[in-house]
Amino acid sequence: MTVTRRSFLKTGTLATSGFVLSFQLPALATEGKTAQAAVFSPNAYIAITPENVIRLWVTRSEMGQGVRTTLPMMLADELDVDWTQIQLVQATTGPQFKGIRLRTSGSGSTVGTYMNLRKAGATAREMLIAAAAASWHVEPSACQAKSGSVIHEATKRRLTYGQLAAAAARQPVPKSPTLKNPKDFLYIGKPRSKTDSAAIVQGRAMYGIDTAVPGMMYAVMERCPVLGGTVQSFDPKAALAVPGVQAVVPISSGLSPGVAVVAVNTWTAMKGREVLKVVWDPGPHQNFNSEDFFAEMRTAVAQDGYMVRDEGNAPNAIVSSASKIEATYEFPYQAHAPLEPMNCISDVRKDSCEIWVPSQCPNEAQKEAAQMLGLAPEAVTVHVTMLGGGFGRRLFSDYVHETVELSRSVGKPVQLLWTRSDDMRFGYFQPPSVERLVAGFDGNRKPVAWVQKSVGCDLSMIPWSDADKKNARRYHENELPWGSFDNPYNFAHLKADYVPMDAPVPTGPWRAVMYPARVFARESFVDEMAGAMGENPVALRLKLLAPGDVLKLGEQSIDRGRLIKVLQVAAEKSNWNAPMTKSADRLWGRGIACNVYDADCYIAQVAEVSVGKASHDIKVHRIVCAVDCGLVINPRGLDGQAESGITWGLSATLHGGIDFKNGGAVQSSYTDFRVIGIDEAPAIETHIVASDHPPGGFGETAVPPVAPAVANAIFAATGKRMRQLPITPAKLQQA
Amino acid sequence: MPNYVLLVNGAERRIEADPDMPLLWALRDLLRLTGTKYGCGIGGCGACTLHENGVAVRSCQIPLSATHGKGYVTIEGLSASGNHACQLAWVEEDVAQCGYCQAGMIMETAALLARKANPTDQEIESSLEGHVCRCGTFQRVRPAVHRAAKQESA
Repeated sequence: MTVTRRSFLKTGTLATSGFVLSFQLPALATEGKTAQAAVFSPNAYIAITPENVIRLWVTRSEMGQGVRTTLPMMLADELDVDWTQIQLVQATTGPQFKGIRLRTSGSGSTVGTYMNLRKAGATAREMLIAAAAASWHVEPSACQAKSGSVIHEATKRRLTYGQLAAAAARQPVPKSPTLKNPKDFLYIGKPRSKTDSAAIVQGRAMYGIDTAVPGMMYAVMERCPVLGGTVQSFDPKAALAVPGVQAVVPISSGLSPGVAVVAVNTWTAMKGREVLKVVWDPGPHQNFNSEDFFAEMRTAVAQDGYMVRDEGNAPNAIVSSASKIEATYEFPYQAHAPLEPMNCISDVRKDSCEIWVPSQCPNEAQKEAAQMLGLAPEAVTVHVTMLGGGFGRRLFSDYVHETVELSRSVGKPVQLLWTRSDDMRFGYFQPPSVERLVAGFDGNRKPVAWVQKSVGCDLSMIPWSDADKKNARRYHENELPWGSFDNPYNFAHLKADYVPMDAPVPTGPWRAVMYPARVFARESFVDEMAGAMGENPVALRLKLLAPGDVLKLGEQSIDRGRLIKVLQVAAEKSNWNAPMTKSADRLWGRGIACNVYDADCYIAQVAEVSVGKASHDIKVHRIVCAVDCGLVINPRGLDGQAESGITWGLSATLHGGIDFKNGGAVQSSYTDFRVIGIDEAPAIETHIVASDHPPGGFGETAVPPVAPAVANAIFAATGKRMRQLPITPAKLQQA
Repeated sequence: MPNYVLLVNGAERRIEADPDMPLLWALRDLLRLTGTKYGCGIGGCGACTLHENGVAVRSCQIPLSATHGKGYVTIEGLSASGNHACQLAWVEEDVAQCGYCQAGMIMETAALLARKANPTDQEIESSLEGHVCRCGTFQRVRPAVHRAAKQESA
């Protein structure tokens, strides 16, 4: 469908004779720019009822990124209402939202809604004004909208939006509604606290795990401990003998086949599972070890990869360079480990199915459940609950499949809960990578050539054809070489290629998708170049970004000037050139790193680190962060996402990592897959660089620079270059 | 199956359950008090923290058989209308992101403040260091605890 005014807006009336305005937005924007520009996908509805309630259907999942706060802020400004008047309704798949894409990924919640929500708000405002003007027989220009009412100043008459709702719905849709002047914004750009805070602190916020439906049974599931293995046989007797256990059911529709135990409550299901006897057919991967896989990946750096970006002739330039440096960096498998483990309720009935799930992708859940059940998608309704963290893991519906199969089998609504250990050991993992970097310098020690070879694994969610593999653009579109493809630096010769490896581990996007591994390598290596050149790491970056021009890469434009600015701000605010604290027992250092997230958000971070001289323990004291992500809707939310992303990145820098042994994940809880706690959380300072650019998505931007900034700071402190994550005291001692 | 009388949020609640069922699951599944969260089940994340006779404990580690004669307070019972100093401070500092772990940290902090009026940063850290927050909200937890402490002592 082509983009037309008419298809952008359409009005209708609600059963309550309220005013409903649906607005649609290009799929381009909803999907963080990876979809085709010409396709429309309807996005959300607002409704104004005669009772003067403004309803906003939230078409994204709230998982901590603050979408249930930023969306009403945007609407409140253009519609001229007090935002407390806006009632949020979580959009559900079903007749009302047929054809509407409900998906939360790629830091796209703000990017995908901003202009369209504003246009919809402005359109509604003008129609409300027109309705009021008509009823008063005055010119619309003599009326104004304010705080949920239309006012005729000259006669002091006033009608609320609720009073005008029915009449407004009959007004023609304005061709080009006038958007508010940004200087008049009351909400956009002003710090606001989360709309759900009170519910959260009172324990009223309902996550998937908290949801219950009448007649619901509870289940847990024993999955094959070996990747690719299957159930050979099982004996349900012992489990069924546990009082309260009601059924023992083999399940094969998820990622790992297994046997579910269904009971009257969660604990009883767990007890049944404990005594369940299953004989597994381990399949072909019982000897898979990640340590061996890393050895294979290290060997594979010698292979030619698929070309991702190729400018000049980097290999020749390196051969003929006066000097060169090279280094290899490693990034392990990672788990998402959201605190609310995977869970889902399915109620499969004869001709329909209802699902309650904390999901980032309810449309896919609906479609896939319908396929399993041989139903039309419309027969399946998916309710999205609050998400206790998402981070990419909930872009998959494997646990929905399991629950649908289970509910169909027992003929009742069932809630399936993954235990923490299930959640840590199964599911999708961030793929590991080995990054080989080479830089060549001329006789004046000026860098002339850059090569980054990434050895890694494709994401399971994206099917690849051989034709795809020969098409460099597809690599970018499929997010694999993020960080090496969109290297912002200026080299006469630059090559980035990618060697895909096969492993039996299911892989999926993690927070910041594929940036963390590539940017760890790239930004550490820029520091190594600075060392080889005797150059200040900030000064070198600024030189490599000169003259601050715009780098065109396919459809992307990377504004080097914006990256220069955030580097300068981070350096200035962190007192980059000032002497560090001194102490007798610790070594101190600062490190910097920067990145551009999807040609959209520009970020630089300076980490201040100290390392125990004897103990080698690593303390990250402070991270100063400078950001240009276009217009900021909610500065308080942005600070929170910076704190959150940095903490996430720091967990992977100092802890984290999933190992596989004998075909299964080794780590099984937060005790062996550690994340940063309050005792390790650094001070974080975020400086927003004011920007006229449209808003970018910031949920993931802060993650990638953390590891290299910290590694560079450790180098500055100790002279030790740490090229493998996580960086532990033991590794530091050996280095 | 034995019967238990649980004293929760000031009320006596009768349940019939296994003696080894953790208090966490009794609250969540049998009493539908779902504000207390499951995070790991091994006492390693703090999400299920509540008060036992005023002391912060991990409810996943308390079997029903050990609950006799003790009084429990969950996040739902921390205050009558969400106006405990910690709850107010948490909202004021906009601490929560996904929010899943916050009840555990609030209950831990409420117990800390009950025994220590003005805790130092170090005391706050040692009290909350066992709490996992995958979103990473700790930069706001610290000022929220101080704000709550100030309000409590005011």
